[in-house]
Amino acid sequence: MINIDIGATAVAVLTLFGIYALMAISLNLEYGVAGVPNFGKALFVSIGAYTAGVTYTRLLPLLAGLESIHPCGPSMGAALQLRSEIMATQPAAGFINLALTFALAAAIAGAVGFAVSYVTLRLKEEWFLALVLLVGGETVRILVRGADDLICSNNGISGVAQPFYFLRDPGASSFLFMLLALALALAAYLYSERLVRSPFGRMLKGLRENEDVTRGLGKGISLARAQIMAVGSLIAAIGGVLFALNTGFVNTNDFVVNLTLDVWVMVVLGGIGNNRGALLGALLIAIMDRLAQIGAIILNMGGSEIEFNYVRFIAFGLILLWMLRYRPGGLLPESRLTTEAHEVVKRVIGAAK
Amino acid sequence: MTPLLQLHNIRKDYGGLRAVDDVSLAAPENAIIGLIGPNGSGKSTLIDLIAGAAEQTAGRVIFAGEDISDLSADAIFKKGIARGYQEPSLYFKMTVLDNVLLPVKDQRGERPWYAPWRRYWAHEEAGHAEAAVTVLEQVQLLQHYDTLASDLSGGQMKLLEIARCLMGKPKLLLLDEPTAGVAPKLAYEIFQQIARLRDDYGITFLIVEHRLEILFDFADYVYVMHLGNLLAEGTVAEIANDATVREVYFGD
Repeated sequence: MINIDIGATAVAVLTLFGIYALMAISLNLEYGVAGVPNFGKALFVSIGAYTAGVTYTRLLPLLAGLESIHPCGPSMGAALQLRSEIMATQPAAGFINLALTFALAAAIAGAVGFAVSYVTLRLKEEWFLALVLLVGGETVRILVRGADDLICSNNGISGVAQPFYFLRDPGASSFLFMLLALALALAAYLYSERLVRSPFGRMLKGLRENEDVTRGLGKGISLARAQIMAVGSLIAAIGGVLFALNTGFVNTNDFVVNLTLDVWVMVVLGGIGNNRGALLGALLIAIMDRLAQIGAIILNMGGSEIEFNYVRFIAFGLILLWMLRYRPGGLLPESRLTTEAHEVVKRVIGAAK
Repeated sequence: MTPLLQLHNIRKDYGGLRAVDDVSLAAPENAIIGLIGPNGSGKSTLIDLIAGAAEQTAGRVIFAGEDISDLSADAIFKKGIARGYQEPSLYFKMTVLDNVLLPVKDQRGERPWYAPWRRYWAHEEAGHAEAAVTVLEQVQLLQHYDTLASDLSGGQMKLLEIARCLMGKPKLLLLDEPTAGVAPKLAYEIFQQIARLRDDYGITFLIVEHRLEILFDFADYVYVMHLGNLLAEGTVAEIANDATVREVYFGD
């Protein structure tokens, strides 16, 4: 039998939940609320991770008052040692670097999301955007992998330590990192809840339901779509930064189309258009991921030759089909009201009686 | 006095098909203008062209003295032209109240940077809700404010569509068969509403309608289209007694 540390497993699952929650909330805003089929989630998540790869190798040494070492090629080892040392001994530099990474990743991803959707969504078919992003995400991934200097092509950047690494206590630093991920997920959730219950959310839902009518009612729909893509993309990029920090590693192989599909499963499973559904979907997938890992270890130790990753793919496919067939609204269907206007009207009617 | 809406030599080609051919018409303020003609005569296309949902091949659309020929549908709505559709085109998964609140112009809470912070728009939203009460009351839908639009009857849907337009404070309302699929008695009531809105708010209506027996009771002026052309125009009495109109329209 293998020993499972319940506490450490819970921390790992909840950290993963926080990261997935950011991705699921961002897709829920775009597709669930506004009906924009973003099949390039991996692209926007990867922008966050690549940004972390660049800041940890270029910006961090400068913040620590040291000369930066080229992270790739012969000096790779020395550069890794330098950033590990800074993260272990200079927490202030680590935190400032992280804050700047978040800001930079959000700004880049937000701008890319806005620009891509503004250009492609002016076309009649919104599924054109889905294709552009699907292909674009893969293209960017291959370009980044091919660029020798950015994140060292196939080698990636390792030693992307999370900000509490300086504590030299894996349990405590993992716990604090989990809190950071959960706090950011909570912030994104609260923000999205407010957005959905605002006139902006109402317009997005209208856009989702009938584009032509919404344009006919005076709404600039290309702009609204670009705006929600910018918001969703910056949230996804923040998830991407945390994703890199969680694995300690930035590698283009993590951002293949599968990641996008995972996020879609979360949203469809949880409830399209419902932020709480997105959270639920993220939690279920995080638990499933961990169970799959444990299952794989148990199977391998038992001498089985089943590749557990494929079992995971099959399971996700089945979940998607089953949900779309029997519960197309997801486990938690969308709420139908937007603003407090309904209470205002209720009061007015009540007063008139 | 210049008319509120003027169409000058409007033409629309779909490939080789000429749907609208050299149509000119004018609608004065504060009037109900009927637009009639057999199926396929180009009436709905004309509505689409005025509203900006389609682009004319040639010709000019002048509204309140301004050339709006090349404006997009959202810009035309903001100028003061709202439209209803032949098929009910509501937000069926939204409540009646959300349906009428959406078209309100220049909502602060529609900007993403204000949207999450209720204090920037809650007051304004409450004002819009009160305006919605007045409008919904006029079309007798107030008690249904919390109902999903998909749960309304056919006639109520038509009324909600008009109410939704009114929230944009239009000067001109384009309606494409506002009584389609509605029981005769309710159809008459819908036109009574329309007449009241013309009188109370000075709104001009351009109405495509097949139920001539009702339209002729309310219209101030009627245009007749046939095969993309304007066949005749005049008061109800003139149109009803026009021999050519009777021939193409009633087949006698």
